[in-house]
Amino acid sequence: MQANNTNIVEEFVKGAKKGLYIGLEMIAPAMVLAYALITFLKITGLMNYIGDALNPVMGLFGLPGESAVALLAAFFAKAAGCAAAASLFAEGKIDAIQATVLFPACVTMGTLIGHFARIVLVSGANKKFYPLLFAAPIIDAVVVMFLTRIIIALFH
Amino acid sequence: MTDTNDQNTYKVTWKGWLSLIFICVSFSGLLAMDKLANTPWRALDFSVLVGKFGTIAGSKNIFQGAGGIGAREGFLFTLTLIPTVMLALGFIQVCESLGALRAAEKLFRPFLRPFLNVPGVAGLAFVSSFTSSDVGAVMTKELVDNKMMTDDERTIFVSYQYAGSAVVTNTFGTGAPLLPISVLPVGVIIALIFVCKVFGAMLVRCYISYYRKKNPLVEGGDHAGQ
Repeated sequence: MQANNTNIVEEFVKGAKKGLYIGLEMIAPAMVLAYALITFLKITGLMNYIGDALNPVMGLFGLPGESAVALLAAFFAKAAGCAAAASLFAEGKIDAIQATVLFPACVTMGTLIGHFARIVLVSGANKKFYPLLFAAPIIDAVVVMFLTRIIIALFH
Repeated sequence: MTDTNDQNTYKVTWKGWLSLIFICVSFSGLLAMDKLANTPWRALDFSVLVGKFGTIAGSKNIFQGAGGIGAREGFLFTLTLIPTVMLALGFIQVCESLGALRAAEKLFRPFLRPFLNVPGVAGLAFVSSFTSSDVGAVMTKELVDNKMMTDDERTIFVSYQYAGSAVVTNTFGTGAPLLPISVLPVGVIIALIFVCKVFGAMLVRCYISYYRKKNPLVEGGDHAGQ
């Protein structure tokens, strides 16, 4: 971790390069998928159906039912969730405040399946508590949405 | 892993502290406040340094244009985000190399036992999990294998790492599409996620202590005896 021999410029370039790859390898595919998916859901009318069905649940967080699409996508990949939220914003389905509420939630409960292997299995955690470990990020996401709303109400 | 063992003797340098303060202040958005609008301090703010795209001549729009939909719009939007992610990860990499994580470890270490009931020796794994999903998980396994952490402590610690994993890197990387939309500075978003990660782990801690009251550890194979 300590790198006294390498200089700051080299380190910066290394990090920035990592950022470029994340952009091309993670964000771009997620965005292409999310934008195409939202377009599909809109044209087929499924979006309205999802919106109506999930309005009561998402309404608890001051969000329209459609925003559940972002959380569902986030479950599989953080990037897809955030991209879906951005797309919903672009479509005018949610406003900037609602997108901000979704932001920390998508990161908190994001990529749960992929990271189950990378974190829970790799760390060798006790099998008995797998369901508990799986539920924790979802509970955290619910809490973070309420908390974000409070912070926005106070400071924005 | 030598890292886990020599962390007690490691001395945090002033560079480490300075880079930690820099990254916290720069991402917090504090320096971009209206009060500081005409001062050079703005130059240290992350969002100010990210800057903005110019507009296409004769139009109010940047190169992304207006009214795009579908995959093409998604791709073009990605292009607008890449400079943000590159600058953020460049900063993070530099600060890490200057010892910011070691400084952060010093700060967080005393709080690990009271909040998460995890030993202070897990400090490095704790701060590593800010920027990497895998490093923290591997270190956690080694701590348990080396009997420096119990199995139940591991469950609590893993629940912290699993939710919002690699929170700093992922908020910038995977969260990039929402960065230009968010009404809160990115530092605040990271802080919110962090608070909820700790909160969730504390819930897990409560559940486990409740569970152990009903099901005390007896079996030896669990290597989790207190």
